[in-house]
Amino acid sequence: MNGMLIVAQKEIRQILKSRNVLASAIIFVIVFGGFSSLSTLTSEGGGGPLDQLVFTLVPVLGIFMGYLFSSQAFLREKQGGIVETLLCSPLSLREIWMGKVIGVTVPAYGLTLLAAALILGLANSLSQMTLLPSLPLIAHLFTTVPLFIAATVGLLGFAQLLLGLRENQILNFAIIFALIFLLTMSQALFGSGFTISWVVVGSSLAIAILLLIATSWLTRFLDKERIVITIP
Amino acid sequence: MSVIEVRDLNRTFDGKKVLRGLNFSVEKGEVFGFLGPNGAGKTTTLRILLGLLRASSGEALVFGASLANQDRLRRRVGVLLENNGIYDRLSARENLDYYARLYAVEEPRAQVEEMLEFAGLTERADDLVGTFSAGMKRKLGLARAIIHDPELLLLDEPTSGLDPEAQVLVRDLILRLSGQEAMTVFMNSHHLAEVERVCSKVAILHHGSIQAFDTVEHLRAGSGMPRLSLSLADPEKTATALDLLSQLPSVSRTEREGNRILVTLTRGSPASPILTRLIQEDIGVEEATKVSRSLEEIYLGVVQEAEGSA
Repeated sequence: MNGMLIVAQKEIRQILKSRNVLASAIIFVIVFGGFSSLSTLTSEGGGGPLDQLVFTLVPVLGIFMGYLFSSQAFLREKQGGIVETLLCSPLSLREIWMGKVIGVTVPAYGLTLLAAALILGLANSLSQMTLLPSLPLIAHLFTTVPLFIAATVGLLGFAQLLLGLRENQILNFAIIFALIFLLTMSQALFGSGFTISWVVVGSSLAIAILLLIATSWLTRFLDKERIVITIP
Repeated sequence: MSVIEVRDLNRTFDGKKVLRGLNFSVEKGEVFGFLGPNGAGKTTTLRILLGLLRASSGEALVFGASLANQDRLRRRVGVLLENNGIYDRLSARENLDYYARLYAVEEPRAQVEEMLEFAGLTERADDLVGTFSAGMKRKLGLARAIIHDPELLLLDEPTSGLDPEAQVLVRDLILRLSGQEAMTVFMNSHHLAEVERVCSKVAILHHGSIQAFDTVEHLRAGSGMPRLSLSLADPEKTATALDLLSQLPSVSRTEREGNRILVTLTRGSPASPILTRLIQEDIGVEEATKVSRSLEEIYLGVVQEAEGSA
């Protein structure tokens, strides 16, 4: 099996065994996903608001999952010094990074889809008619969302490997504030009248692809020496 | 071709010279001890050899190339650093399986079982590593480092932080690898007794430069002045013998160790005239043994000499 996929498989296995992290992720989904959708869906009606809610809230939840799991895969491994052993393996630094990004993105995306299902289930339980997501929204869920998560995980992994302990602590605070900001933004977008068209979905897909390419390009600046000398 | 070849290696961190013109080589099948106090530059040297750090100048070659840009060459090298490189949330078997597949081991399952047996962890194979003692983790780390049957094994303080029993176990495992598997071993350590028991060749590093580099036997033979341990036939004559010996020009120092006398000869002096003189004075010698210097004495001598010349 390809070395990158071996790393990815190990990350998935490790995340699934990290009960505390999984519990935090599920609590976050229920608190932010469930309660946000409850409050918004009870105040609005019809399929339009549901599409808007899923379109904006689900990627934010996915990014949070990616943040939560990438700390396990990149930061924890660096703080513990295990990454140094991994850097001595026959894999290139890029293969290790890619493997970890895949390994974090898969469970984060899986939980994100669960969150989307939860929101849809709640919407249907609150509505007297059956509410189904639109086709553009389904395309968004299956293309843009995983790419956004992968790009975020890649970027976070890059930063966590590159930075020292203190800088990573500052980064963690910045990410939490950014997530709160994103959640607020997604709430603000809700009900603002915009519709989830193919153009909107295509644009966000293009942004996700560009972000992923930019993140991948950034890894050229990753360097074993930089990682080793910033191990606490 | 040497397995490891270090030529005029220098490394500077923030203007501070950490390594100063290191030169040494390690040949196939050798167990090489890289000795030095904390901060001497041992780990920096190891990291440069592994391609994790760059040299400011000079070369550090493994199998004739730098590991920094030879991803596939690293398949021939096993590494056990200060961190064992194992995951607490995975079982011993899962950890070994992961590395076996990373290193593309041909029959990973069989090799994992063999390594579990090597480390004496077969019964705990499915337990999470987080529940293991430090000694068990170190043994698993060593099994992990050799799972792909490397030609060269690089170890950083392999018995550091272990209790004496675990130290003996890890030391025995290293001896088994060098003996039965003919593996070349490079070992960073400041544990002198361990290096003395395990290594065939050593380099003593101090303040970033090598102060001594030779086989343990040569270092013992060539270091300091020769010493004799004497056991007298009549222990009551010990004081007289000490008095007599201290007056001889070929004797540099005498010490009493219980019923024995430890005589340090001046450099190049033979032992036989001393024994003849004692017998002439009617002091019978029951046993006379040439005393080798321990690595610890050699090491301390080298370090003190380096401190003195600094």
